[in-house]
Amino acid sequence: MRSEKIEPGQNVEEVLQRFEVPLLQYAARITGDRERARDVVQETFIKFHRNGALSREGETATWLFTVCRNGALNVCRKERRMMYLDEEVIEARESEQPMPFDQLEQQEAAGFLLRIVAALPARQQEVIQLKFQNDLSYQQIAEIMKTTANNVGVLLHTALKTLRQRYGQLAGDFIPFKPRTTE
Amino acid sequence: MKMNLDDPKLTAYALGELDEPERSTIAHAVAKSAEAQRLIDEIQELAGALKNEFATELEKEMPALAGSHSVGGSRSLIDIRDDPWFWLIARPLAIAAVLALLAVVSGVAVFSLRRENVRVAHSVGLPPAAVPSRPADVQAEFQMPTEVTASPAVTPSAQLPFTAVAAKMAKQGGTKGGSSNYSLAQAPAHAVGGVERFRGIREPSGEFNTAAYDHIVENPFLDAKNNPLSTFSIDVDTASYSNVRRFINEGSLPPKDAVRVEEMINYFTYDYSQASDDKPFAVHVDVASCPWEMSHRLVRLGLKGKEIATDKRGSSNLVFLLDVSGSMTPPQRLPLVKQAMRLLVEKLTENDRVAIVVYAGASGSALPSTTGDHKEQILQALEDLQAGGSTNGAEGIQLAYKIATDNFIKGGVNRVILATDGDFNVGVTSQGDLIRLIEEKAKSGVFLSVLGVGTDTLKDSTMQKLADKGNGNYAYLDSLDEARKVLVQQMNGTLVTIAKDVKIQVEFNLARVASYRLIGYEKRMLRKEDFNNDKVDAAEIGAGHTVTALYEVVPVGATNPAASVPPVDPLKYSSNDRSTSTRSSSSNEMLTVKLRYKKPDGDKSELVERAVTDTDGKFENAPVDLKFAAAVAEFGMILRDSKYKGNGTLAAVLEWAQEGRGGDANGYRAGFIELVRKAQALKRG
Repeated sequence: MRSEKIEPGQNVEEVLQRFEVPLLQYAARITGDRERARDVVQETFIKFHRNGALSREGETATWLFTVCRNGALNVCRKERRMMYLDEEVIEARESEQPMPFDQLEQQEAAGFLLRIVAALPARQQEVIQLKFQNDLSYQQIAEIMKTTANNVGVLLHTALKTLRQRYGQLAGDFIPFKPRTTE
Repeated sequence: MKMNLDDPKLTAYALGELDEPERSTIAHAVAKSAEAQRLIDEIQELAGALKNEFATELEKEMPALAGSHSVGGSRSLIDIRDDPWFWLIARPLAIAAVLALLAVVSGVAVFSLRRENVRVAHSVGLPPAAVPSRPADVQAEFQMPTEVTASPAVTPSAQLPFTAVAAKMAKQGGTKGGSSNYSLAQAPAHAVGGVERFRGIREPSGEFNTAAYDHIVENPFLDAKNNPLSTFSIDVDTASYSNVRRFINEGSLPPKDAVRVEEMINYFTYDYSQASDDKPFAVHVDVASCPWEMSHRLVRLGLKGKEIATDKRGSSNLVFLLDVSGSMTPPQRLPLVKQAMRLLVEKLTENDRVAIVVYAGASGSALPSTTGDHKEQILQALEDLQAGGSTNGAEGIQLAYKIATDNFIKGGVNRVILATDGDFNVGVTSQGDLIRLIEEKAKSGVFLSVLGVGTDTLKDSTMQKLADKGNGNYAYLDSLDEARKVLVQQMNGTLVTIAKDVKIQVEFNLARVASYRLIGYEKRMLRKEDFNNDKVDAAEIGAGHTVTALYEVVPVGATNPAASVPPVDPLKYSSNDRSTSTRSSSSNEMLTVKLRYKKPDGDKSELVERAVTDTDGKFENAPVDLKFAAAVAEFGMILRDSKYKGNGTLAAVLEWAQEGRGGDANGYRAGFIELVRKAQALKRG
């Protein structure tokens, strides 16, 4: 998905249509809970509506994702989901749950890569999602995640490296030779 | 300068995140390092795959939200979404395929997935210098589709076969080593799905159905009076059978045009005796009643190439040209090819040479020409091969031919062996140029073998064409079994050409034959003048190879409307009275077979001729090989739903195949019998 230039004066309805699902996915990945994610996104849009449309290009996306992220992290804090509480510590650790949302697990098929993504450390997942689902720039991601573009680069680099390795590993397994059945 | 490949800057560069002047600096460094280029390709391909999957994730949410408010408009639509076909058929099917856990097998649904990705591919195949422009292209293609498809009618039905196959795949996966961290029951299915997504960034194609099979118009019955000569080139390809087998094993009947009857017949080796003289091959002819139309005669021509013991064959100079693009990742593709090559490498000696050239976004040599006693080195190079990148076949093939030419072994086997799952993205070169290159190199004595793997992108017709022009053969590898057969058991035949430009011309005796039909070989037909014209190219026969052709002949006096030939007005100026033909009235001969061939390094053809008399043999008493060949031919015709299939049924095919099973040392015929049973079940189901 390509990040779109947000024209000044656009209405909330349009922004809603454009960002609802991406934000929902983003929040769901952070909270691991779709109902909570829905609440967070709703709140985000209410806030957006109150503050009125932003005028600077590209800022809408950054603004929405930032607010959404804060909301999602708040949910985590309230519900004592440790995942994001101590981000620096957790960064080094692999996510314990290979797939955070069970519901999706049953429905989804193609998400092989997404599954490997889901096993990455939380912040790496986040960067990957912002970059590849929402096509945000390093700078935008840095703003949303309150870090530097440099750090985003490192996170993304590390994440992609892991993905490449895991992907290769899985694909490298060879279905062993099965002797032909003779009757 | 030595490049640090583990630099976040490279990733940033690959993703188009760098600004000048940093971008140029990195671009410069990357251009000098093949390794870095490969890395960049890999990152970009992975990025494309991720975008794709994330987009799918979003897409799936869309229908759920459709009810709550209107979603639509023309935002971020890529052009193919304007195509009504896409909306009506491809998209729903694509979604169905995704939902159904798997996107591998045959069928339209899978191809539609590819269609979604097709446009991306136009960005690949650029010369390395232009690589930096790719991220932008790729991104543009992966825009999030924001429109909603409502397709309840199509989705559930399209889902079914995939679920079945997914279950099968999961089962298969259960037998593999447990080195993956993922649930064994699920991982393989997902792996395949993921891979299919991953490949989205590959080669371009203008077609919906990217597995391309040329349409085949079957040879009709021809009136012997007006067409006493039947001329064709032999065919040693076997790919169609393994491809058909894959379809059936995966639970669907093959598309008609994927069935080439002659390739199915020639998949099997027949127990023809070798030539006792110094000729490179022996010719055998048998006649029996035609089992699917008893009033007709079935004529079998069998050629047997001279066997050359493995230790007697000349030295080999082999250049493997391997497609290592991302789509080659699944176990049945690059890993299979690697496995097969390992088997072959084991057989090589210090007199043989092997080189490996890979092609993807950038092509390069993975192993310089190395003698066969350095097995470790060769195997290590094989081990190091990894899929990732996009295809540029033309550069790779040029490099491969160059290495083959540089290491040319006079009097030996000089061959480029191409293994790929798709067509070439030939970049700046057109297919015509590529074919010309291959043809030209074939003249210099470097031949080409093509090994096809994979499923949905298989450019069947292109590969067949390339192999033909390169004086080579084309085989489809659907299993290690098959790889073993092609590369090891038949290594001599696959690699050692004993005669080239082998053409067959059959002259029918008008006194005996009313009309006839050559079964299969539609793409091998030659004009009668071509037979004696040494400039006209034809196929090669390898050591130990057998080639079989069947004619269904309507004898004079037999009447059968199915075999009737459209009437032609009698000729006004020449006599067409059968009795006036020179030899026909006095001869009992049914036909004469003539063969022309050239020695592998020769330019002038030699002629072999043999007259055949029909002794009115019955099919029941026919040699087992004839029975078996007839079974395979009829099986092919039934799969093609040919109007010439006569009274044959799959049950009859089974019966004939059982009778014709013979020794079956390798179990191939048993495999065929099994396959017919599966087809029977599919037809019933």
